Amino acid sequence: MPSLISQSGKRLVNQTDKRRLVIVGAGMAGSKLAHDLQQAYGHLYQITLIGEEPKVGYNRIMLSSLLASDISHADMALVDTQKMQDDGVQILSNDPVTSLNLEMKILHLSSGQEIAYDQLVLATGSRASVLPIKGISASNVMGFRTWHDVELMTQLKGSQPICVIGGGLLGLEAAVGLMKRGHKVVVFHRSNWLLNRQLDEESAVLLLNRLKEMGVEFRLGESPESFLQTDGDRVSHVVCQNGDQLAVSLVVMAAGISPEITLAKAAGLETNRAILVDERMQTSRADVYALGECCEFNQQTFGLVAPIWTQINVLMKVLVGEESAFVIEPTPTKLKVSGVNLFSVGKIQPSAEDSCIFFKDVSANHYRKLVVNDGLLVGAILYGNVADGSWYFQLIQNKTNVSDILDLLVFGEAYCCPKVA
Amino acid sequence: MTATMKTATSGKTTCPYCGVGCGVTLTLPCSTNEAVPPVSGDEDHPANFGRLCVKGSSLAQTIQSDDRLLTPMVDGHPVAWESAIETVSAKIAQVVKDHGPDAFAFYLSGQILTEDYYVANKLAKGFIGTANVDTNSRLCMASAVVGYKRAFGSDTVPCNYEDLERCDLLIMVGSNAAWTHPILYQRIAAAKQQRPNMKVVVIDPRETATCDIADLHLAIKPGSDAAIFSFLLSDSVQSGILDDDFIANHTNGFDLALAQANESTLSLSFTADFCAVSEQDLTSLACWWRDTAKTITFYSQGVNQSSSGVDKCNAIINCHLATGRIGKEGAGPFSITGQPNAMGGREVGGLANQLAAHMDFATPGALDLVRRFWQAPNMATENGLKAVDLFQAMEEGKVKVVWIMSTNPMVSLPDTAQVRRALEKCELVIVSDCKAHTDTTAMADVLFPATGWSEKDGTVTNSERRISRQRGLLPAVGDAKHDWWAICEVAKSLGFSAAFSYQNVHEIFAEHAALSTFENNGKRDFDIGHFAQITKAEYDSLIPVQWPVPKGRPEGTKRMFKDGRFFTPDGRARFIAITPSLPKNQASQEWPFTLNTGRVRDQWHTMTRTGDAASLAKHTAQPYVEIHPKDAKRLGIEDKALVRLTSPYGEVLLKAKLSRAVAFANVFAPIHWTQQFANASVVSNLIPQVVDPLSGQPESKHAQVQLEAVTDICYGVIVSAAPLVLSDCLYWCQVPSEQGYHYEVVWPNGQTQASLKSIDVEQSQDSAEKAEWLEYSNPLTQQIRLAKLIDQTLTLLVYMHPQPESIMADWLISKLAIDTSLSIQDRLAILVGTPANIEDKGEIICSCYQVGSKQIEKAIASGVCSVDALGVKLKCGTNCGSCLPELKRFIPIVTELSA
Repeated sequence: MPSLISQSGKRLVNQTDKRRLVIVGAGMAGSKLAHDLQQAYGHLYQITLIGEEPKVGYNRIMLSSLLASDISHADMALVDTQKMQDDGVQILSNDPVTSLNLEMKILHLSSGQEIAYDQLVLATGSRASVLPIKGISASNVMGFRTWHDVELMTQLKGSQPICVIGGGLLGLEAAVGLMKRGHKVVVFHRSNWLLNRQLDEESAVLLLNRLKEMGVEFRLGESPESFLQTDGDRVSHVVCQNGDQLAVSLVVMAAGISPEITLAKAAGLETNRAILVDERMQTSRADVYALGECCEFNQQTFGLVAPIWTQINVLMKVLVGEESAFVIEPTPTKLKVSGVNLFSVGKIQPSAEDSCIFFKDVSANHYRKLVVNDGLLVGAILYGNVADGSWYFQLIQNKTNVSDILDLLVFGEAYCCPKVA
Repeated sequence: MTATMKTATSGKTTCPYCGVGCGVTLTLPCSTNEAVPPVSGDEDHPANFGRLCVKGSSLAQTIQSDDRLLTPMVDGHPVAWESAIETVSAKIAQVVKDHGPDAFAFYLSGQILTEDYYVANKLAKGFIGTANVDTNSRLCMASAVVGYKRAFGSDTVPCNYEDLERCDLLIMVGSNAAWTHPILYQRIAAAKQQRPNMKVVVIDPRETATCDIADLHLAIKPGSDAAIFSFLLSDSVQSGILDDDFIANHTNGFDLALAQANESTLSLSFTADFCAVSEQDLTSLACWWRDTAKTITFYSQGVNQSSSGVDKCNAIINCHLATGRIGKEGAGPFSITGQPNAMGGREVGGLANQLAAHMDFATPGALDLVRRFWQAPNMATENGLKAVDLFQAMEEGKVKVVWIMSTNPMVSLPDTAQVRRALEKCELVIVSDCKAHTDTTAMADVLFPATGWSEKDGTVTNSERRISRQRGLLPAVGDAKHDWWAICEVAKSLGFSAAFSYQNVHEIFAEHAALSTFENNGKRDFDIGHFAQITKAEYDSLIPVQWPVPKGRPEGTKRMFKDGRFFTPDGRARFIAITPSLPKNQASQEWPFTLNTGRVRDQWHTMTRTGDAASLAKHTAQPYVEIHPKDAKRLGIEDKALVRLTSPYGEVLLKAKLSRAVAFANVFAPIHWTQQFANASVVSNLIPQVVDPLSGQPESKHAQVQLEAVTDICYGVIVSAAPLVLSDCLYWCQVPSEQGYHYEVVWPNGQTQASLKSIDVEQSQDSAEKAEWLEYSNPLTQQIRLAKLIDQTLTLLVYMHPQPESIMADWLISKLAIDTSLSIQDRLAILVGTPANIEDKGEIICSCYQVGSKQIEKAIASGVCSVDALGVKLKCGTNCGSCLPELKRFIPIVTELSA
């Protein structure tokens, strides 16, 4: 066993003969790993979970529901942090790690605390991408990533003009949440249609119409020219490319995310867009692992929860010496806006060798597009009635040959299942 | 009529379809607005004893047609009867004056009543002075008539239906009675079940439904029937079963007939080869024939519709005469007619080669007899033009006015192109029909609205000589009038008031009966003198009776020729020397396929009535051609695919039905579909105008054709709330449906969603903006499906697919024009074509795993009591967890409910 005494001579917290596993990042990936690992292998590990946010172990996915007042604070918990602590997990919140010494296997925290580890897991997540727009660093330009962000937004009283930059999943959820709080929201989206990575133009029009009905305004195919600061460090107007100036009291940046790899990079781990890991979630350094939004596997990064849950399962097995390997699989996307049902998975923009099957019932806001290649379903967009989404997802995941049910495929599981069986 | 409706609750009548002539009981609705309840069989009627086939059972569905002809029309405009009558009589008078009486012709039908027939025949042959009175019966049993007349000296059907049940051997020739005469077939089948020793032999090129009860099926070469019976005649001599006394005392011409039979059927192997049957099968038939005195030969259109139809009939009759198997219970040559009153037409003489009341122009003294009886000023003196000749004369301009009644020659006569040319050339085409739109009414200059079945009133005679009443139980629709009334009005307008002033239909029947007995004294078989003074009350209560019904024999006559006396001058039956011959046109390199025609089970004739009953379209929805699978494979024709049949006379498009029921290089197509139901499937387009030289009956069951798969096409189904004009379709067939309009279609390739959306543009009353479209497109299967909703109501469905597909149109039709808006499931299902057995999940709670509220409630009701347990059972909440709050709320809700 490595020494339990740090170089500074300070006694470390843990004195058991359990292995010391430290998780940096108490977001969803880190918290759930800590929770699951404690449940399964608590007898083998002394787990330390370190988070930069004051709040840890909450379900980040629910932030938009919280913003929209669809749920209460009590509903935000992803894991029961109190019980975890009772079980022996050490949770250090509101205390970002400032540096990592891979040789010494020690972490330095902003509070000055040093923590040694036997095995380290980086789950540092991501941050809102910073666009090269003049005025972006103003104080009322914010992301939509943390509970704190939501708290700031909910403090905004009355009916304020707000710009959301980015018409992706996050941006739309923020926009609807803010709109529901009574604000007047304009969404800028660089692409010509919303959710351009999840939807095709036709389904995006259905979504656009629905969101417009709800009261959100859109400027499509447009990024802000600049943020006009007439009030100190606050943006007062968003300047459009045609010169229009929109008065704003808040700008929410939701135009993509960037993996948070500052710590890993500084420590000398191999990185590209994110921290490089192998199929065992191991970084370029033995005993250091990464998972979640901060890791990169096979040139891919991860923003959705499903593959990250898979990564946790893989890593847990790896840690206890079992064989396991992470495989990238298509992940379905949904938009968490109540009253809007959409489902998107896999390849949604067909290439020449793909074929698309359509069902369109525009007046009932029902749209389906399936992308098929060589007898396999490779992508699906559902809008309106998404009941068959998980079935299509299974077909894609299981690489089920659908050649015999091509005529009924778009009508869903209820029609096709007798045939598949 | 109204008075009748108030007092009577039901009435007895007879079925208007085939020649079996079943009794039907029709229950009257309480008010004229109500639908007529389903009919039932008349238990007292000796033809059917209460049974009805599917066509007869569906009669009530055909009564309230939305296509009734309601008013007289002249040149497309509605006019009053007086005016229409005046137009017609003026034109008849003019052409008769300018061109002679033969410039006028009647073309009648086995569906008009005996009284209608009688006055038409009387007007033409006695008053206008032409024997141009022919009928669609020419197409169905003219050969049988001539066959009987050659042998017996009279058109006498010797047998009755009981004989069919009492015979020990039934040879069914050219008859698919199971479909065409179902009640007789059922009586035969029941008899055979009771007496399993009774043998049934079917002689038919096709393996038909009738073969189900056959002990032996001889799938003969088309048209070779006569050789079978010539062989049996020869064999009867060798096997010593001749009735020498009968031959000696009651017949003439046996030696010649036998010599001819011997010569034409040299041996078993020769005959088997000629007929393309096995020697073994032919021997079986011969053995049974030898051993079975009680044998009925039952024959129909397969024998009659032939260029040698009369000879075939006589080949059959020869065998019965030679063995004395006639005039006895369970024995005889039995011709079965196809129409409800073909026999009645024969009785009045309503054919161009008859005079009246079973007298011919050539019958010594007949012309004078009839002239005196009718007090006729302008007697025709010689035979008129038989159907095919009549239409040829029309095309040549010789016949300038034709009055067509209750028949559809544009579909039923051979070579439709010729019939069209003839009617186009004809100066005045008068059509009496109860339907506004038929292929023939489309050719008319004057339309007379006729009363239809349940309204018209008179008598009919079925295949066993049984006269029954067809009663007018319901009031006439619109201005519809009885045919006899219209004929009499024209006759009066032509100046023949004295001879045509009947007040009531029974007076016509009485006159017909009086003529039949006039100076008869047993010379003529047809004598119904018992009815010569019939009163209206007696007529209205007439009990079905088999003629002859001479004075003093009110019970009628069950069986003819019991005494071996025939109606020839010397009272002896005649053998006819027969040389079997094959159909006139034979396969060639250019026309390699032999087309046989016939009927399907649930349609009758040209669907003018059965086409009104949606339920009758279920059995066979579309016109088809039966092709042997080997031929189909060679030609690249798939089952249900569209096939083009071409003959020297025209072409049709039919759906392929692969079947081993037809022989190699033979095909079969049903005759029913008109242009009212399908744009390109009138099978008579293909048929040559080849006729039997003696009977004039066309060889409608035989044409030489070429066959090809239609390529570069796609198939479709259209269901529409409104009727459509489908001009873009290569092929369309309207399938009768309970509501709306159901079309099976074929388009040329290259249809797009846009082109399919404009399919109802001409008909659509609604602006395009109001339309909501539901669309399904699948390039992998080349399917396009569209649904159009107006105000949430389904008005149009278009399905397109590269191959023929069976779509559950009934279900789709049931979704047309329903008041409530379609459910979200139905909006999907109408483009699938079938409802899914979809579990109602309720509102989706877990969107990751699509778990709905109803599933969750069900799980909780079954004992699941925590969110974690729900996750284990349904997976809900185990992915992103965003539904966990809602899941939590479910637990107390349901617990409270159950508490």
